[in-house]
Amino acid sequence: MSHIKLKNLVKRFKDTEVLSGIDLDVPEGSTLVLFGPSGAGKTVLLRCIAGAVEQDDGEVRIGGEDVTDVLPEHRGIGMAFQNFALFPHMDAFDNIASPLTACGKTADQIRAGVDTVARLLKIDHVLTHTPKALSNGQKQRTALARALVSHPKVLLLDDPLRNVDAKLRFEMRLELPRLLADQGATVIYVTQDYREAMALGDRIAVLDGGRIIQNGTPEEIYRRPATINIAKLFGDPTINLLDVVPQSDASGVYATLSDCRIQLDPGLSGNVGRECMLGLRPEALSFTTANEGVPVTIEAETPFNEKAVTLVTTLRKREILVSRPAETPAPASGTAHITIDPRDAVLFDRQTGVRLDPNGTSHAAEKAA
Amino acid sequence: MDHRSPLERVLRALALTAIVVFFMFPIFWIVLMSLQTNETILRSPPSMSFVPTLKNYAAIISGELDSNAGSMSIHFMNNLLNSVLLSVFSVALALLLGVPAAYAFARHKFRGSEDIAFTLLSFRFAPPLLVLLPLTLYFQALGLANTYLGLVWVYQLICLPLILWIVRGYFEDISPDIEHAYRIAGHGWFATFRKIALPLAGPGIAAAGLLAFIFAWNNFIFALVLASADKQPVTVGALAFVTASGIQYGQIAAAIVMSIAPTLLLALWAQRYLVEGLSLGAVKG
Amino acid sequence: MSEVLLDLQRINKIYNETSRHPVRAVKDLNLNVAQGEIVALLGSSGCGKTSTLRMIAGFEAVSSGQILIKGRPVHALAPARRNVAMAFEGYSLYPPLTVEENIAFALKSERLAKDEIRKKVAEIAHLLEIEDILERYPGSISGGQQQRASLARALIRDADLHLLDEPMGQLEPQLRALLRGRIKHFIKERGLTAILVTHDQTEANALADRIAVMEGGVLQQFDSPLHLKDRPANLFTGTFIGEPPMNVFPAQAEADGDNLKLNLADGVCLTYPASAFSDDLKARLLSSDTFVIGVRPHAVKITPGGHPAKVYANQWLGDQTHVAARFAGQTIVSVRHDRAHHAPGETIGIDLAASDLHIFAADSGRAFSHGGALA
Repeated sequence: MSHIKLKNLVKRFKDTEVLSGIDLDVPEGSTLVLFGPSGAGKTVLLRCIAGAVEQDDGEVRIGGEDVTDVLPEHRGIGMAFQNFALFPHMDAFDNIASPLTACGKTADQIRAGVDTVARLLKIDHVLTHTPKALSNGQKQRTALARALVSHPKVLLLDDPLRNVDAKLRFEMRLELPRLLADQGATVIYVTQDYREAMALGDRIAVLDGGRIIQNGTPEEIYRRPATINIAKLFGDPTINLLDVVPQSDASGVYATLSDCRIQLDPGLSGNVGRECMLGLRPEALSFTTANEGVPVTIEAETPFNEKAVTLVTTLRKREILVSRPAETPAPASGTAHITIDPRDAVLFDRQTGVRLDPNGTSHAAEKAA
Repeated sequence: MDHRSPLERVLRALALTAIVVFFMFPIFWIVLMSLQTNETILRSPPSMSFVPTLKNYAAIISGELDSNAGSMSIHFMNNLLNSVLLSVFSVALALLLGVPAAYAFARHKFRGSEDIAFTLLSFRFAPPLLVLLPLTLYFQALGLANTYLGLVWVYQLICLPLILWIVRGYFEDISPDIEHAYRIAGHGWFATFRKIALPLAGPGIAAAGLLAFIFAWNNFIFALVLASADKQPVTVGALAFVTASGIQYGQIAAAIVMSIAPTLLLALWAQRYLVEGLSLGAVKG
Repeated sequence: MSEVLLDLQRINKIYNETSRHPVRAVKDLNLNVAQGEIVALLGSSGCGKTSTLRMIAGFEAVSSGQILIKGRPVHALAPARRNVAMAFEGYSLYPPLTVEENIAFALKSERLAKDEIRKKVAEIAHLLEIEDILERYPGSISGGQQQRASLARALIRDADLHLLDEPMGQLEPQLRALLRGRIKHFIKERGLTAILVTHDQTEANALADRIAVMEGGVLQQFDSPLHLKDRPANLFTGTFIGEPPMNVFPAQAEADGDNLKLNLADGVCLTYPASAFSDDLKARLLSSDTFVIGVRPHAVKITPGGHPAKVYANQWLGDQTHVAARFAGQTIVSVRHDRAHHAPGETIGIDLAASDLHIFAADSGRAFSHGGALA
């Protein structure tokens, strides 16, 4: 059963449409990551679900019920904000307790509820502090505790890790899935960090310009991105994009890079002669000692998040990034050859930026069907 | 920021002292005058040495003024009470009406909301004399002339726009997310207003209330025209000191000290909240 | 190293010096930057990096110590007379001027020809992708655009030293990644010298030749990105640098015939041939009570025969997998470059090679050794 369902949601501010017909299903107990650049409409979408902003058209259903006319305080939602939105004049305890005081719990129940969640999030020692006296990490945990304390069926988390330091962000990224699973809530999680999206989402919905341009599992988004833009958003270092025109002969469809043949999926035969972009992930490329593959010149190598990233240029001076696990051997300078794992190659239409599907249909057509 | 030479520091300190002296001197002088008799004030050449006396204050409080021309009675304490009553009730009413209105203007933009807010502000632009004549006629017809109710009502022209515009700014500075968070936690809009918006805008409300109080206290023209002797505040009542037989400087000075004392004390007391308001940067998360 | 451009000598910064609660923001900082070098001041908020930058720029006075630019003491000079350019974190553009006028502001006072100015502005605007907003006013553009305009205004100047305070904090991750390379290229091509303040180590790694890691007002280590990673001087840099962070465990050493045993919490015992450690290191370890061992996540091997650990998270990020498990009473994270499938609850074997161990003193945090040899 789908727990949160959005149907053709539209929101305008003055004359600009910030959400243009959003359709979304989030099954009960699952986590959907809403991913997109800033200004894509993620925050507005979340506020529409919470009831803090009223949509102009379409409907929001929670647990099968249309909540369009339900006030935010009656929607049974827990929400954590990117800027934490703690109440500055209340201490951490009162902040966390606020959802419990609303539903008329006794003082004992409130204390027990707050203590449990505070211990879980390791902030039980700072409950008497006001937000001003809390560190960023403690603020973030307090905000999260406030969202979790009443065990809401729906959790909306608006980039909660954005304003905490890298180490804590990493720790929380490891902890959050279990925390959310224990809650059993249906979660919508907004982020701009693709790693967070990949790690936390059962599914990822990529939002851009007020529309969902792809909705899929992390695997689908990473391996079969619907557009060039999505391919660029996921992956760091970013995907290599090379201009190619697919060709075919008796042994199948292929593209060439520095006179070297890159075998493509035979299903792409419909795109022979089309102006395309070939997307190659840096980790799908590797150096080879054999004298085969694409000849390249090594330009520079930089260490990057447990990886080593090498910038190489082809004979035609096209720049390509090759990454490999840190501390694995590789040629340091001069010329070398790289091989390409063709299974990891993705082909996009150069004009529209849409991925060309091996089954002969473009992804957009597939979505419309 | 301190690449200043010692000379620069000394000069800066001197300049600051000069400014403080310049602005504080009249008040200082009036306090001195209030402690002297008319004779010592008017002696020539003037001198800083005198024997302080509380006679002026005694005369003001008792209402019996003795001058070389004889004695007269004056209702200064009554005027003072009027000032307190008028200012307190005006500000209270303006807060009661203005704070919710300011919240509405800050949070709910609707068609024409800016126009309404601006119209309210424009009451402050209009010269009081412009509205006085029609107002007097209406008030007489309605039986509001020379009543506290009528005066408090008219004083809204002074207090309401001030409170509305200042407090609105403070409400706008509170991140809407903080209020959204409280709503989503399950509280209704009124609870959110009372528990979140009001306390967070508290310093601003205090500042606006204080300012409105000072303006109301200092008002002269409305009270002059619309109030008769028994409803007059100090600003109007002070006119009584200018008599045909001369001006009683010592007593005027004492009256002035007594009439600025309440606002001064209020300002000193509220200063704590005003400073708190400036340092409550946490409002924005 | 070529000629020293900036020399900080025993810089101290104490705020509220005369009050009852003085705050020592920077303590005895010595730092030198060579001509043409890019140096990053890296640390979390409150570590003293911004105070240091503001002292170099002249917006804060030094409490004690000397600042020399090209051998000339400048710490007593007003900011305008130090010949430094600065990009502010809070943008600080002049609101009544357009973006273009803002960027060209300093050039105009240098009396450059109009065409020359226009060419330079166009070039830097192209570099930072703000060509389309040159005619706009600061109030009408986004925070990220303001930040780039502020950066352009600083980089365009011909100054001895360019100071960049969190120059890309407001930008989106993708744009940040793109601009990093371009800015580095721009600075290097012109031979400029730059100091960058950032809390983002990816940014510091990508831009800087050397990184000064600061914490609590104290310089922890000043070294190349590679050395910071391979040879952290102390536990702080060890755990601060690297993403995901280094795994650390308290341990005790015990000699056992030809082997050296490292005892961790929860009865975990790592056994290595004694020959894996140099003799003086062995002596040091055996003579100290407890110490801390650190292992980078990519060096944590998962093998069937290893020490048992219980998986609690397995996150695939496309190009790598982070596996987190309970090990020796703590969390251990292993980075795999394939798509590892270890379900939460599963028991895996952990293997840590002696050559991958960093060993730190338990009290001072100072590094004993990296990969079996003394530091």
